[in-house]
Amino acid sequence: MRSFRSIFQRSLSAKVVLSTVILSLGVVWLAGSALDSRLSDGIRSTNLNSSLAEARLAFFNAQFKLLMAQSLTVEERKEILAGIVVDATTQGIKEQRREVIIVKTPTSKKSSLSYEMASNGALSESIPENVRKKILKSSELEYTYGTLIYGNGDKEDSLFVGNRIDIPGAGRYEMYVVFSLAQQASTITLIQNSLLVTGFALIILIALITWIVVRQVVRPVREAALIAKQFTQGEFDLRLPITSKDELATLAHSFNDMAASIEQQISRLENLSRVQQRFVSDVTHELRTPLTTLRMASEVIYNHRASFEAPVARSSELLVAQLDRFERLLEDLLEVSRFDAEVAVLEPVNFDLLPLIKRCVADLGVDSDEKTSDISIKSDNSVVYLTADMRRVERIMRNLLSNALDHCDGSQIEITVATTESEIAVAVRDHGSGLDEASLIRVFDRFWRADPSRARVRGGTGLGLSIALEDARLHNGELDAWGRPGKGANFVLTLPRIAGDAIQSRPLKPVPDDFHEDNFYQ
Amino acid sequence: MARILVVDDALDLAEMLGIVLTSHGFDVEIVNRGDEALEAFRSNPPDLVLLDVMLPGIDGIEVCTQIRKESMVPIVMLSAKGESIDIVRGLEAGADDYIQKPFRDELELIARIRTRLRRTNSDITGLLTIGDLTIDVTAHEVIRGSQKITLTRLEFDLLVALAKDPGRVFTRDALLSEVWGYRHSTDTRLVNVHVQRLRSKIEHDPEHPEIVMTVRGVGYKAGGTA
Repeated sequence: MRSFRSIFQRSLSAKVVLSTVILSLGVVWLAGSALDSRLSDGIRSTNLNSSLAEARLAFFNAQFKLLMAQSLTVEERKEILAGIVVDATTQGIKEQRREVIIVKTPTSKKSSLSYEMASNGALSESIPENVRKKILKSSELEYTYGTLIYGNGDKEDSLFVGNRIDIPGAGRYEMYVVFSLAQQASTITLIQNSLLVTGFALIILIALITWIVVRQVVRPVREAALIAKQFTQGEFDLRLPITSKDELATLAHSFNDMAASIEQQISRLENLSRVQQRFVSDVTHELRTPLTTLRMASEVIYNHRASFEAPVARSSELLVAQLDRFERLLEDLLEVSRFDAEVAVLEPVNFDLLPLIKRCVADLGVDSDEKTSDISIKSDNSVVYLTADMRRVERIMRNLLSNALDHCDGSQIEITVATTESEIAVAVRDHGSGLDEASLIRVFDRFWRADPSRARVRGGTGLGLSIALEDARLHNGELDAWGRPGKGANFVLTLPRIAGDAIQSRPLKPVPDDFHEDNFYQ
Repeated sequence: MARILVVDDALDLAEMLGIVLTSHGFDVEIVNRGDEALEAFRSNPPDLVLLDVMLPGIDGIEVCTQIRKESMVPIVMLSAKGESIDIVRGLEAGADDYIQKPFRDELELIARIRTRLRRTNSDITGLLTIGDLTIDVTAHEVIRGSQKITLTRLEFDLLVALAKDPGRVFTRDALLSEVWGYRHSTDTRLVNVHVQRLRSKIEHDPEHPEIVMTVRGVGYKAGGTA
C-alpha cells in the first residue's frame, strides 16, 4: 500500500493513467448501462409485437377453422383442434419455441365433454391468473409474462398471449399461445456480454493511449530533470534539445537561457579567480626576489656585527629578525589568498603522524627559550598512519603548538592523539589564561588577538589559526576550539584517515576530560 | 677554486649572490639573460650553474635543456616558492637540484652548492656491478658490454648509492640525505624525477625497470647482481 502510494506520488504518468482509467470507467459504465437498457427494451418490444401478431393470426385461424367445423362430430372437432394446436406450435419463426394451451373458461357451464388440450405436456395450471381474469372480461387479445411449467417439471420464462375461442357445442374456451423467452434472454445476454467486453477493451485502450500521451509529455520533462541534475553537478555546458515549438520547447528555452546565464556567471567567477591566482603568483615572484636580496644582504651585515658599534650591531639583529617575520607574514598572506581564490591544492601522501608531531615539538621547543613549557605527547597507538597533505598537517600542528606556547603562561601543554577506524584526532591542550565565549567565536578570525595588549612573544603573524582551520577543511576535516577563562584552552583537530573522506565520528571531544562544567560554575 | 655561473635577471639579487658566494671562496660569473647564459657557459665552462627559472631572452628551463645537451655540469635551479610546476619542469629538463627563493639562510645555499661540487662516495673505489652494468667508480664511468653510458654527476651518484648496497631498500628521505645532502626535506619529487631520468638511460625498458626498482610505499633498491 505504501509502495503503491509512493509510486502514485512519484510518477506523474501513473497518476494520470490511474485517474483517466477511473474516470473513463464511470463514463463507460454509464454509457454501457444506457445502451443496454435501450437495446433490451427494443428487443423486448419487437419480440412482443411479432409474438402478438403471430398469436393474433393463430387465434383467427383457430376461430375460422372452428366456425367451419360446426356440423362435424366431436371426434372430428377434436381432430381439427389438434390440427390447430400443431399449426400454431409449428408456424412462425422457427427458432422461437412456442406452446399452445386450450383451456375451458371457468365461467362456462359444466360439461363432461372436454376439448382441453396442450402441446408438449405444458400444464394449463401454470398460466398466470391475471391474464385469465382479463380474458374473462375482454374479447380482445390479452398477454402477460410468466413461467411455463411442463408436466415433467421443466420451467421456462415465457410470454402468455391468450384469447377466447368459441367451440361450437362445447361453449367458451380460452386459447393461449405461449412464447418462450429463452431466445430473447440469450440475445440480451449476448448484447450485455458484448457491451461488457467492449467496455473493458475501451478502458484498456484509453489507459494505453493516456500512457502514450503522458509519456510524450513526461519524457521531455524527465530528460529536462536529468539534464538539470547533471547541470547542478557541474556539467555547465549541457543544454536541452529543442525539437518542437510547444510548451515543452518554451520550458527548454527558459532552461537553456538560465543555464547559459549561470555558465556565464561561473566562467566570470572562474576568470576572476584566475586573475586573482595570477596576481598572487606575480606578487609571489615580484616580492620574493627583493626579499631574497634583502635577506642575504642583512645576513652579510649580521655576520659582521662583531666589528660594528653596539647600536649598529643591535640594528642588524633587529633587521634580520624582522625580515624573518616579514617573510612569514608574506607566506601566510599568500596562503590565505590562495584559500580565498580556492586554488589551494591538496597533495596527500601516506605518513605516520607521530614522528611529525615530535618533530614540531622539538623545533618549537627549541624556539621557546624564554618560557620553558613541558610538552607531553599521549597516543592510543604507537603508529598513526593517515593519507593527508603532510606540509599542511605539519603547518596545522605548528600553528596549534605555537598558539598554545603563546598562551600557556609556562604551564604544561598536553598533546593527545586518538584514532578510530576512519578518523584521527589530535588535541592540543594548555592550562593558560584560557578563552571566554566571545573569544571562542573569533579565535579563528584573521589577525584577531585574544588580548590586544599582549605582546606577540613568538612573533606570530595572526593568521596561524585561520590558516590551520582552512588546512583542516581542505582535508574535509574539522578544527574545534574550547576554552574557559582561567582554565586554559583546547584545540581539537579531526581528520579523516584518507583526506577528503567524510568524518563519521570524532575520537576526541573539544571539551577536555579534566574539565567538568559543574565544578566550574560552583 | 670552483667556478660558478650565476644566471638571474634580478640584478641586485645576482650581485648579492655574487658577494656571498665570493665571500665563501667561489669564483663567480654573473649574467642576467638566458641567451647570455649559454654564451657564457660555452666560452668559459663553469663547475656549477645557478639558474633562475624566469629569464628574459631564453627561458631558464630552455637554458637548462641546452646546457644538458652539451654538458653534465651540475645545475641548480633558483625558483620562487610556490611555482611547483616550474620546479618539476626544471628537474625534468635536467636540473640536479633546486633552491627556493627566498633562501632560508645563505648557509643552506652554500651547503647545497658544496654537495653538488663534492665528489660523493669518495670512500668507494674500484668496480661495482649491478644487473648487466659495470660501474667504474674511480673513473666515473658506467659501461654496458662495450658501450659507455653517459650520466650526469648526480645520476651517477644516485646509481652508486643504490648499487653499493644491492637489495637494500633506500627510502626517498635516505636518498635525499645521501645524494643531495638534505638534512630533512619533504620534497620527494627530486628523487622521483631523477630516478625516472636515470632509468631512461640505464634500463632496457624504463616501464619495467630491472636495475633501479621501486619498493611500493617505501622507496627504491638496486636489482640483484645477476
